[in-house]
Amino acid sequence: MKRGGYLLALVLAIATVGLVVVGTVWPNQSAAANPDAGARLASGSSSPQDAVNTLLQQIGRRDWSAAYSGLANKNDFSEAEFASDLTGNYGSLRTYALLDGFDVHPLRASTDEAQFRANLRWASVVGTFDDPRDLRVVRKGDHWQVAWPLMKEARVPPQVIPVNYLRWDVINRGPQDDWGTQDVEAPHVRIVAMHPVDRGGGVVILGELLNEDVVPAFVTVKAALLGANGATLATEDSFDKISHLLLPKQVSPFRIDFRNVRLSQVDSVHIQPSSSLVSASADPVIGIESQKLNPVPDASLTGELLNQSGQVVNVAHVIGTFYDGNGQIVWVADSYPSRALLPQTPVPFAIALPADVSSKVASYHVMTTSYRSGHAQ
Amino acid sequence: MQSRNSIDGLVRPIPLGLIMLGAFLVHGPLLLMKLPLKSYDTNFHIFFASHYAHHWFDPWNPKWYAGFSQTTYPPLPQQWVALLSWVVGLDFAYMIVQFAAILLLVLGVYRFAKLWVGPRASAFAALASVLLGSEAFLVYSAGQLSTTFAAPLYLNSLPYLYEWIRWRNGRALLKGAVLAMAAAAAHHATLLFGSFLFAIPVIALAGMEVWKNRRSEGTNFVLRTVLATVIVGILITVVLLPFWIALFHYPVTQTPIPHPSRANYILSPQWGVNYFLVPYGALILAVPFILWRGSLTPRLRPLLFGFWVAFLLGLGGTTPVAKLLLGRAFEVITMERFTYWATLLALPFVGLLVEELVDRFQWRAVAGLTVAAGLTCGVAVAWATYRPADAEDFKVDSAAAWLNRDGHDRYRYVTLGFGNKISRLAVLTQAGSVDGEWNSGRMLPELTAHGAGALTSSKYFGKAGLEALSAILQHADRYGLKWVLLKDPYYEPLLVFSGWRQVDDLEDKTITIWSKEDVAPATPIESQQRPHGWEGLLWGTLPIGSSLLAMILVFFPERRRSERTISVSTLPSKPMPEPVDSEDLVLRRVTS
Repeated sequence: MKRGGYLLALVLAIATVGLVVVGTVWPNQSAAANPDAGARLASGSSSPQDAVNTLLQQIGRRDWSAAYSGLANKNDFSEAEFASDLTGNYGSLRTYALLDGFDVHPLRASTDEAQFRANLRWASVVGTFDDPRDLRVVRKGDHWQVAWPLMKEARVPPQVIPVNYLRWDVINRGPQDDWGTQDVEAPHVRIVAMHPVDRGGGVVILGELLNEDVVPAFVTVKAALLGANGATLATEDSFDKISHLLLPKQVSPFRIDFRNVRLSQVDSVHIQPSSSLVSASADPVIGIESQKLNPVPDASLTGELLNQSGQVVNVAHVIGTFYDGNGQIVWVADSYPSRALLPQTPVPFAIALPADVSSKVASYHVMTTSYRSGHAQ
Repeated sequence: MQSRNSIDGLVRPIPLGLIMLGAFLVHGPLLLMKLPLKSYDTNFHIFFASHYAHHWFDPWNPKWYAGFSQTTYPPLPQQWVALLSWVVGLDFAYMIVQFAAILLLVLGVYRFAKLWVGPRASAFAALASVLLGSEAFLVYSAGQLSTTFAAPLYLNSLPYLYEWIRWRNGRALLKGAVLAMAAAAAHHATLLFGSFLFAIPVIALAGMEVWKNRRSEGTNFVLRTVLATVIVGILITVVLLPFWIALFHYPVTQTPIPHPSRANYILSPQWGVNYFLVPYGALILAVPFILWRGSLTPRLRPLLFGFWVAFLLGLGGTTPVAKLLLGRAFEVITMERFTYWATLLALPFVGLLVEELVDRFQWRAVAGLTVAAGLTCGVAVAWATYRPADAEDFKVDSAAAWLNRDGHDRYRYVTLGFGNKISRLAVLTQAGSVDGEWNSGRMLPELTAHGAGALTSSKYFGKAGLEALSAILQHADRYGLKWVLLKDPYYEPLLVFSGWRQVDDLEDKTITIWSKEDVAPATPIESQQRPHGWEGLLWGTLPIGSSLLAMILVFFPERRRSERTISVSTLPSKPMPEPVDSEDLVLRRVTS
């Protein structure tokens, strides 16, 4: 009996250790269950692919120190510069973004060097953005190291930038009054274009809104799809596919998405724009330069944003309106550049277009809105 | 000889009353300081209790998720908190109920351990439960009132059921079944997963004894086991009927939410510290002894297997066992409770180990064990300070006052960056929210479609969390959602670009309030999940009734019967004074 006991103890001990080894060498990779599903045993640099994967996993865990120490070209820049390249500066979208995933594709390889294209997908507060990088991997003895392609941010030289812009202030009611009750007439706004389309298993309403007034307006657009019997099929609003702040005479495109409704079910569309008076200024002025419409397969509108003011814009929002040859809106799309807009420093942007839409686009119009930390209204 | 006399006090079993006094000395001051209020889930339980305090027979709570049913979570400890809150307020009521759970654990561990080891070792096990790292971790860091309330009830129930199965004691069956019913009314996860880990070894023990002593009774043993299982099953079905109805109609099919207790603790050592080192503490040193002694002593093998399975499950993703055994449930429940149950199953072994160490090394053992247990408990209690549930402690009273004035509570709200303070806020305000902390109770499609927890902590869930937040903000009109209370500026860009405006600020501008134009006042959401009136009636009577019945039955005087003392010590036996631990005496001590 005692011998059986010894055997049982031995079996349980070995089984426990064995199960731990199995769970560690082949960990559960379900991100649905485990927030740290990317964790792996270290030392994955025996092949170029392993070296890239290891580096990107370390970046995903924001383990800058480990990631930096394994770089082939770490003598070219500091760890802080490396981290700043990935996370950005000045409270940009990158600063607080989390790595949601990455894809790695080999481009070429030799005995001592290999090249990969890595696409890092970051999750930010306003959505995901891609960060493609071409990575060179070099052999160092019996292991491989990645040479990180650092993108150094331009430094703005000290200078004085004169500011001359329009500004509208609103005197609100006292704090003892119910906020939001405005004793003034709401700014006059008007829908100047509206075009429903059937797309992706749902209905998309595209349109433009004009602030006809001489004061700035904070605007929203709601839409209701009505069926044949007058019943409401669905209601949605423009959310972030619009510029909510319209200066006098300014036009904003809007897009409202309805999922799981077919256009054939819709008898009419009820659009309800609303506006309220709001303090506003024309600053910061953001110029849009080098705009270019790119054909398929990478159908997109690209260009550069230039912050012409003297203050940092933490997050910019670019909204494009696309028209066909008849001047009809065929699409509204937007994007958020991941880097902050420093004064007088161009930042690239790209607005992706559906392939079928890009062939119809004859002209376009781009506008920007901005967020500056501490200046939210 | 002098040394022998010096440990005379430890030769006899430590009186249970003294152990409970120790529990009071250790946990009393900590609970009087309301330390659990800093934990993850304490305010969640207080929020549920707050609802029961105001709407005892209506489990539909409109304050979270635009309305959800509290029948999705067994109510017993929260109902006791609600009852006591009418006298001492919610916070102290919680502390009293938690303390009662700690005392019940002492008693439960003692009684459960006596099935396996002698009374002296059982008393040591009970004493160890007072300083158990996993208990301190769950009470002060995790705030899992229901888990720590249900497990002791099962531990108290099982010895009675053992008596029925083994000795055909009908009164014991009644007591055991009612206690099991009360335990089920306290926590569903303990019922669905933990109860088996405790019950199967006990049944196996009874079976082994029957097999060894009176094989002819084998059929009766099986019949008694089946009868006990059926009776307990029926009682549990009845006492939680509204829960089963809710679970049947609305099974938890939402996208799983990641939890670090499912991580591999070697690859993610930060979680290994949190979910393994802290809860086990010095008990880790006893694991080789448990394996050794449990394997060598046939009588202890069922307990060893129970411990081993719970131990492996508690390791989360460190081994493939949890995923294999639990299947989809692995992605729904959290794993730290298995560690808790593993440590409870380990306590009889710990009692045995302590007994042998004290006998062999006398005061040196006492000193060493005291230091080890004290450090284990101390680190687990302090863990709430080193790794607080909220990175920043702040008051939500001003936010609640803002929501409660000027008709702001006619609309719903959501907080961003409040962490688990949202439960405290929900207790203090009349306004309803579209957010909440009870993920299994939520039905809003914007929330269930994404694998994220509370909206207030969206950013920590990455893309899934931010998509859920965007979806709910996009449908603000639908839910009468007019206010966003913002503590974390991280979310400001989303609010700015999606049409929300800052309208006020609180707490020296550390909390800003954002509003959306043209949102109609909130209206009740029509939900199929809303329980019927009769379900509310059952929910308000049966669970609390089960606990009252258990108290009446257990404290009812019972005939003295002969003590069945078990000794599995392999050390030479030493003279032992007359045991003073008959169960009735134990219970009289408790009641006194």
